Amino acid sequence: MKKTKGIVSLITAGTMLISGAMLAGCEKKDDEMLTVAIGQFGEHGSLDNCREGFIEGLRQEGFEEGKNIEIIYQNASFDTGNCTIIAQNFVAQDPDLICAVATPIAVTCYNEAYEKEIPVVFTAITDPEGAKLTEGEVTGTSDALPVEEQLQLIRELMPEAKKIGILYTTSETNSEYTINLYKELAGDYGFEIVTKAVSDGSEVSLAIESIMDEVDCFSNLTDNTVVGQLDIMLEKAGNAGKPIFGSEIEQIKKGCIAGEGLEYFDLGVQTGKMAAKILRGEAKASEIEYETVTENHLYVNKAVAKSLGIELTDAVNERAEFVGEE
Amino acid sequence: MNLETVIGALNLGSIYAVMALGIYITYKILDFPDLTVDGSFPLGGAVTAAIINAGGNPAAAIAASAIAGTFAGFLTGVIHVKLKIRDLLSGIIMMTALYSVNFIIVGSKASLPVTGKDTVFSNSFTRNLFGEKASDNAPLHSLFDFKELITVVIFLIVLKVLLDLFMKSKRGYLLKAMGDNPTVVATLAKNGGNVKIMGLAIANAFVSVSGSLFCQYNKTFFLTDGTGKMVIGLAAVIIGINIFGKIRHIASTTAVMIGAVIYTACVTLALAKFPANIMKLVTAVLFLLVLVLGQVKIGTLNFSSKKGGDKK
Repeated sequence: MKKTKGIVSLITAGTMLISGAMLAGCEKKDDEMLTVAIGQFGEHGSLDNCREGFIEGLRQEGFEEGKNIEIIYQNASFDTGNCTIIAQNFVAQDPDLICAVATPIAVTCYNEAYEKEIPVVFTAITDPEGAKLTEGEVTGTSDALPVEEQLQLIRELMPEAKKIGILYTTSETNSEYTINLYKELAGDYGFEIVTKAVSDGSEVSLAIESIMDEVDCFSNLTDNTVVGQLDIMLEKAGNAGKPIFGSEIEQIKKGCIAGEGLEYFDLGVQTGKMAAKILRGEAKASEIEYETVTENHLYVNKAVAKSLGIELTDAVNERAEFVGEE
Repeated sequence: MNLETVIGALNLGSIYAVMALGIYITYKILDFPDLTVDGSFPLGGAVTAAIINAGGNPAAAIAASAIAGTFAGFLTGVIHVKLKIRDLLSGIIMMTALYSVNFIIVGSKASLPVTGKDTVFSNSFTRNLFGEKASDNAPLHSLFDFKELITVVIFLIVLKVLLDLFMKSKRGYLLKAMGDNPTVVATLAKNGGNVKIMGLAIANAFVSVSGSLFCQYNKTFFLTDGTGKMVIGLAAVIIGINIFGKIRHIASTTAVMIGAVIYTACVTLALAKFPANIMKLVTAVLFLLVLVLGQVKIGTLNFSSKKGGDKK
């Protein structure tokens, strides 16, 4: 009697698992349709733009959702455990291609798909080599920032400046890579980089205060945690009369003075076109080198420049795309 | 979702089960809400990634993770017992400190991949046995999809048996007594504080081993791997104990392990079948459903048991 109870409850547990599987087991793959699985690390403006750009890129190459491709989309809510679950889900469904948006999910998808040789195309990854995403059926696009151009821009707008402050999060691989690049190149333009690391968003307002007196201006990366606190940063830096340079259009719109940045949507489109090549069978993922952004944009917020008393040079005015209020 | 997704959920669930065993010791036996977990889980991963990258043996990395976890739990215990800091706060202090410790261990990097290196899930032994790719031929190739599960279940069973044996030893009884009724420990002329420290040390060893397996399974260590792990472990313990804890023939440790698998199954189902914006909501509803259904089932089947909802 007692044993039966034990067994019954064990069966209950088993059924829960298996019924979940059965619910979905009936999905059959259409031979005409190709399946593309898109995994995104979390809900985030830039990453969303990347994903939408990717779908647009596929569309431009003739792959339209519902017509000749089926798109499965899952989002990990910034949890590395969820990345694993999603990667397993994808590989189990045996899609024709996996697109992974941001480093953690790209790494897990790559590792899960490796054994089955499903091609993985990543995007929004700054340092694919550091993440070891270079061997096997994997390729994609890197969102490495145009650091050199950014330093040039700062020098042009602030000829007297000596020290640039940068805040970053220790847990973001992308930031670590970009900071190193900044430090490497800063000397060429006569700058010194002052960095302050935080471990979560709540520390940003303290961190910016701690280096405020030391630096002449700030430069922002695409660090998700820090960018999430941009409002408080702009307020504090604004009070001290120091500009923050941005790295992406949304940051400039919010109140950063200017920035050499990339358009995540364009990056997605570029990635979608690479994926199309693989889907058509023109090339294998292993044969395509990963790409970096082909086009930089210079964004300037005139109102902010004016309020900080910084004059825009002709060279800047010529190239700039003006954003924000006039 | 198909068989492979279910296996994937079982893999991750079994890895979390190791952590749940640790949280069972602190939360259920010692009645100690131990937040060290969010730091000691990635500690196991950090130690493992560092050792494997230095060319170390993956099994040795697990042992080293256990030692590191033991030390972390020991320190939480010392902070709580000797320095008389409240339980929650001692955990928070250790968790905070461990963030930097983990950061330093992996060479001040946000992530450290072990891609391409040998792990307990993929080494010359498993490759010969199961084959390397899905298309390979190998003696046990029919079990290819199960290779990770087999490995992690072996670890899980060994750890569970060790824990069960320990619980039956003199020290194990002292540990249980400490949670139920600390005065008993005092009347036995034993130092209750030391028993607590021991419990925390053992618990965090389990958590770190879980972190080590997680890192080897994911083939990468991320500095943020620990975020929310305490919540996962607690959910696993509560689900397991509430549904299976009242059944005589299932040991509490087994119940907790099944709880971890059910937890992961719920998340997998929510992730796979529902859009991203309502994923967490669905997960929450699934947990509630599991807990309520568990009460109903047990209530009608097991007349001798107490009605559900009386345990924490």
